[in-house]
Amino acid sequence: MSDQGLRVAGLRASVEGNEILKGIDLAVEPGKVHALMGPNGSGKSTLAFSLAGHPHYDVTAGSAVLDGEDLLTLAPDKRARAGLFLSFQYPAAIPGVKVPNFLYAARQAVRPGELTPGKFRTLLLEKMDVLGMDPSFLGRYLNDGFSGGEKKRLEMLQMAVLAPKYAVLDETDSGLDVDALQDVGDTIQALRASDEGKSTGFLIITHYPRILQHITPDVVHVMIDGRIVKTGGPDLAQRIEREGYDTLREETGALA
Amino acid sequence: MPNLPTPQERDAALSAFAATRTGREKPSQYWKIDLETLMPNASLDGAAGEVTIESASSRAIAVDLQTGARDHAALFERAFRRAIEPQHKFAHLALANARLGAFIYIPADCALDEPIVVRYRAAEGDITYASAQFAPQDARVIFTRVARPGRDARVAWASAELGASLSLTELVITIEEPGVDAKIATLFFPTGSQHVDIVSSVDHRIGDATSETLVKSAAAGRGQGRYLGNIRIAAHAQHSDASLRDDALLLSQTAHIDSIPALEIAANDVKAYHGATVGALDDESIFYMTSRGIDREAAERMIALGFFEPAIDRFPTEALREELRTALQAKVTS
Repeated sequence: MSDQGLRVAGLRASVEGNEILKGIDLAVEPGKVHALMGPNGSGKSTLAFSLAGHPHYDVTAGSAVLDGEDLLTLAPDKRARAGLFLSFQYPAAIPGVKVPNFLYAARQAVRPGELTPGKFRTLLLEKMDVLGMDPSFLGRYLNDGFSGGEKKRLEMLQMAVLAPKYAVLDETDSGLDVDALQDVGDTIQALRASDEGKSTGFLIITHYPRILQHITPDVVHVMIDGRIVKTGGPDLAQRIEREGYDTLREETGALA
Repeated sequence: MPNLPTPQERDAALSAFAATRTGREKPSQYWKIDLETLMPNASLDGAAGEVTIESASSRAIAVDLQTGARDHAALFERAFRRAIEPQHKFAHLALANARLGAFIYIPADCALDEPIVVRYRAAEGDITYASAQFAPQDARVIFTRVARPGRDARVAWASAELGASLSLTELVITIEEPGVDAKIATLFFPTGSQHVDIVSSVDHRIGDATSETLVKSAAAGRGQGRYLGNIRIAAHAQHSDASLRDDALLLSQTAHIDSIPALEIAANDVKAYHGATVGALDDESIFYMTSRGIDREAAERMIALGFFEPAIDRFPTEALREELRTALQAKVTS
């Protein structure tokens, strides 16, 4: 079972010729919650997009392996089918594509043939209830005219419906009020408590520690300037809450 | 008067409509709507209007329904009565309403030199007109549609140009009475070597009227499209409200769409909106969908079909909307 886990080693990535990730090592075990913290511009989102296979991000070195499967050779849809999920910070709006049709297509792609449309609808309404989403969402087009908070809720709904092996949440907490934050926390807890999601591993990318009041991480990583400069337990997040990133930056000798 | 319903027959058809059960009174998992609750929303006696037809052809038949029923009984029977299924609840309703219309019959070997012109005039104007053109590949289709809505009339046009090697359409709405609400929605999708050319013109000659033009087009293969959208607001047509939205999607390197909006606004107290886009499928949208496990081709198909959805939505029946979706899907995947 040693190949279980989302294992990133020596990962370097560039955008338009500028190196953003300068060698990332990270391993998320099944069922564990990791938080990846860091100031703006440290490369957190680049890591998320590189793992998911965004075409604008060039991975120049290193590896990313999901339960033994090499992600970097796969197209984005195959990475999702291997069990990876990325919650987008700014998800695309796609007019004309209805939320339930999209979700059903995604569910069928990731977990083929398990659910009839009728059973799928029941599942969808159940998950929406946890997120405090009105059933009228089902009549709307994908992210089209959604507020920031509605987009984040829809990302969480997708995570709940797809029940991935590993979920990377890219600043899902940013711009959310306390209630919405609570709903995000509840969704993660509900997924972890379900049969489908009990071994889901999480990589929660965040700038602020406050999401971590709703879900306690097993491991906290701090990323500064494209490198992970420190890894610790939940107390590391508390320290960042108290001191910010500056003292860590000095202590680890990371470039400002 | 052999075939068209007499007033007595109309009353009988209405009674039959009321008395015939659909067998779909109780919604179940197979159907969700209790068809018994659907009632016609217009009084049949109140509706009045006329249709005039001009045709220069000696061989094609182009007449109003009454004349068709009287003078071409056998052909009319074939085309009209056969199209209406007896014993069906809503067929009775269709029969009761069958008064105003055109009967056009063109023999298989007949070519027309001059167009056939059909004019409808409705006394209380509230017209929804939809047409979906799926003509065969070797056809050339030329349409002109003109509306002159009366005071407070509502006109809604929806058209789709999907077939034929060459399709030329001109849509004209002239607003000469206040209170008019005019809507044009059109979609077209040339693929292979098809060519589609559409001109729409909305002419606000008097104020206090609203118009909305919505155009969704895509082109693939070596398909060529051209859309010219005219909005004119005359100097005295104050408080006009006109909008024009025109989006084009290019699905291949060799496809081409020209989109030419032309707004001519002479009045100063009006609302006029215009927005146009021409582009390929959006990379971020494709990445987003594929990141959910949907393969790239399916994602592109869903985005392209979704692109048309606001225009499809303007067509009046779900059956027609589904037919359009199916035809568009076939074009996207071809």
